[in-house]
Amino acid sequence: MKIDNQSFIREKFSEFYNKNANRIEIPKSIESREFGFTLFREKIMVRHKGFMRAEDLREFIRKTVPSNVYYSAAYYSLPEAKMEEKGWLGSDLFFDIDADHIPTKCNKEHDVWICRKCGLRGKGPAPSKCPNCGNESFEEKTWPCEICLEAARVEAIKLIDMLTGDLGFSIKDIKCSFSGHRGYHVQVDNEEVLKLDSIARKEIVDYVTGTGIDAVFHGLEEISSGRAKMLMGPNLNEPGWRGRAAKGTYEFLLTASAKDLRKLGLRRKVIEEIIANRDIILESWKTSGPWNLIKGLGLEGWRKIINRGVELQSAKIDTVVTVDIHRLIRLPGTLHGKTGLLKISFPANEIESFDPLKESVALKGEEAKIYVEEAPKFRLGEEVFGPFKNQTVTLPISAAIFLLCKNAGRVVN
Amino acid sequence: MAALANEYVKRRYALAEARRAYELLKTEDEEKIVEIARKFGWRIRFSNEKIGLMKFDFALNFIDYLRNTRAFHEKGWKLVNRPVLGGEVHLSKQEVARLLQEEIQRYIEAKIDPKVKSRLPEEILKRMERLKQVYSERIKESPLEDFSSTGIINEAFPPCIRQLYEAARSGRHISHVGRFTLTSFLLHIGMKPDAIIDLFRKSSDFNERMTRYQIEHIAGERGSGTRYTPPKCDTLQTHGLCPGMDNLCKRVRHPLTYYLRKTRSMKRKKIDESKNENR
Repeated sequence: MKIDNQSFIREKFSEFYNKNANRIEIPKSIESREFGFTLFREKIMVRHKGFMRAEDLREFIRKTVPSNVYYSAAYYSLPEAKMEEKGWLGSDLFFDIDADHIPTKCNKEHDVWICRKCGLRGKGPAPSKCPNCGNESFEEKTWPCEICLEAARVEAIKLIDMLTGDLGFSIKDIKCSFSGHRGYHVQVDNEEVLKLDSIARKEIVDYVTGTGIDAVFHGLEEISSGRAKMLMGPNLNEPGWRGRAAKGTYEFLLTASAKDLRKLGLRRKVIEEIIANRDIILESWKTSGPWNLIKGLGLEGWRKIINRGVELQSAKIDTVVTVDIHRLIRLPGTLHGKTGLLKISFPANEIESFDPLKESVALKGEEAKIYVEEAPKFRLGEEVFGPFKNQTVTLPISAAIFLLCKNAGRVVN
Repeated sequence: MAALANEYVKRRYALAEARRAYELLKTEDEEKIVEIARKFGWRIRFSNEKIGLMKFDFALNFIDYLRNTRAFHEKGWKLVNRPVLGGEVHLSKQEVARLLQEEIQRYIEAKIDPKVKSRLPEEILKRMERLKQVYSERIKESPLEDFSSTGIINEAFPPCIRQLYEAARSGRHISHVGRFTLTSFLLHIGMKPDAIIDLFRKSSDFNERMTRYQIEHIAGERGSGTRYTPPKCDTLQTHGLCPGMDNLCKRVRHPLTYYLRKTRSMKRKKIDESKNENR
């Protein structure tokens, strides 16, 4: 009998939930949460489900074997009611960091796009227009690569640093998790944030992303005494965005090429000055900063340079997730339908050493034989697999399911 | 006041009282200010700290800060433009007084209880009626802006909408917020749902039933019945949908205001031109 991918994956998910239902993490106040599920057959989301007890939720997951499990960041008086009748009581503060939102060093070479009109395939992020037929819509296949995940980790670290250092949350109140695909979730678990409305959350988003920042509020100013004019600017050791703006500026000027500087709209003479004086600029941070070193570079020019530095220091999060106070979030301890990897939580202070591609490997059992159309090299746990192209391979179950979930191959009997 | 039971009058009154309080608070000494602020539950302390060249008098919990700056639009009040450390925002005395004004305004508004009416003597009720009349003469409810008469003028779209519109027309991927923004904008300026469905038709994941459902939802014909307006500029910036401002953008805070002003100025220009031609 020929078994299709979907049934095969579902069977493995089912085995996992039967043995590991205790790994499903039960959110605080389960009775006030809305749950949502996607199923293997129907391509719809089942929403507005509620559970009074942990056992009920676990039982439901074991029985239905969903491809994805979500719960609301919000607490409701009636989680099963229609959206406008649920009675919002509060919501956890969530941040989503996804490699899709971050420019990465791998340039996403592992991602594939396929033109929906002429079928042309290419690597990396989809172009704006198909070079063959000019069509502008593509099917895109993304891939959780090590470099992408590393980039996401860096963003998460920046975010956690701002949440603890600037906004004063205790590191113990910050929960992290690997989504099971291409990113991290960071949650602030603290009574104080529950009642924050969208407007307040938006201000927090703007804070961590550096949106709307203006260097003149962070120490950049022109002081004139008599006919002499002097610029002042933020310093490396200062708190909050002041220090961060200085660090970003330092970092940017350390390596900025003429092209990078041209993009900021600086004049040719100024650019030459900056590049010729790079060492002096770096040295100047030990004292009062580089603000008066470059001839012809005034407040407006520095403002642009600092803004570029702010970009480097900002945390690239998915802004929509944090502002949305009704958001559904993947439930930790459940499998990701696009990878078969587990969404797994860990304490924020372990972010530097956490190995997502090891800790999230959850499916165990016999090896499986699959035919792989195409897959780049990837690692799961300690083992590296691929690259594969049009070949039949026998793989550990986690790797096989990973490729099947990614739609990169099919089961061979 | 309470008996007037008029939201507008109530707000104006609370504002006037709060403003008066602000003027008084600005010159109060620090301990007094801390005492008053704590009465409202603020987590505030006298800090007297120097950051850079600036000296700050107070440090206020950032959540208390956010609660009282929601109505402010100046860049300088944005959390990201503030010295924030260890969960506290550093502020001058005058700034704290300004934030207290907001708190006091809300406090007064909440205190004005319209149920008081039944217990009032005849004489006061009479005066009240007169006040109501004065109000309605002074404040003519401004009619909701009507865009439908203008027709849809693509040239008057703000940059954000133009970008989304072009993306939709060529079937490029648009984020959820982007679709919401574009749809609610077009509905507001009078585009028919069917025309909007056609606009999205080229999209790679187009599904007519789903698209129609969503558009009707935004139009307020389904669900809660709320007719949604597009997000304001500030929100579009947060979600990375603002492609950069042109000169008119700098003078408005909402894409619909941009459209309204632009269509008006285009009309004026047309009239001027035709006058010139007639000469």
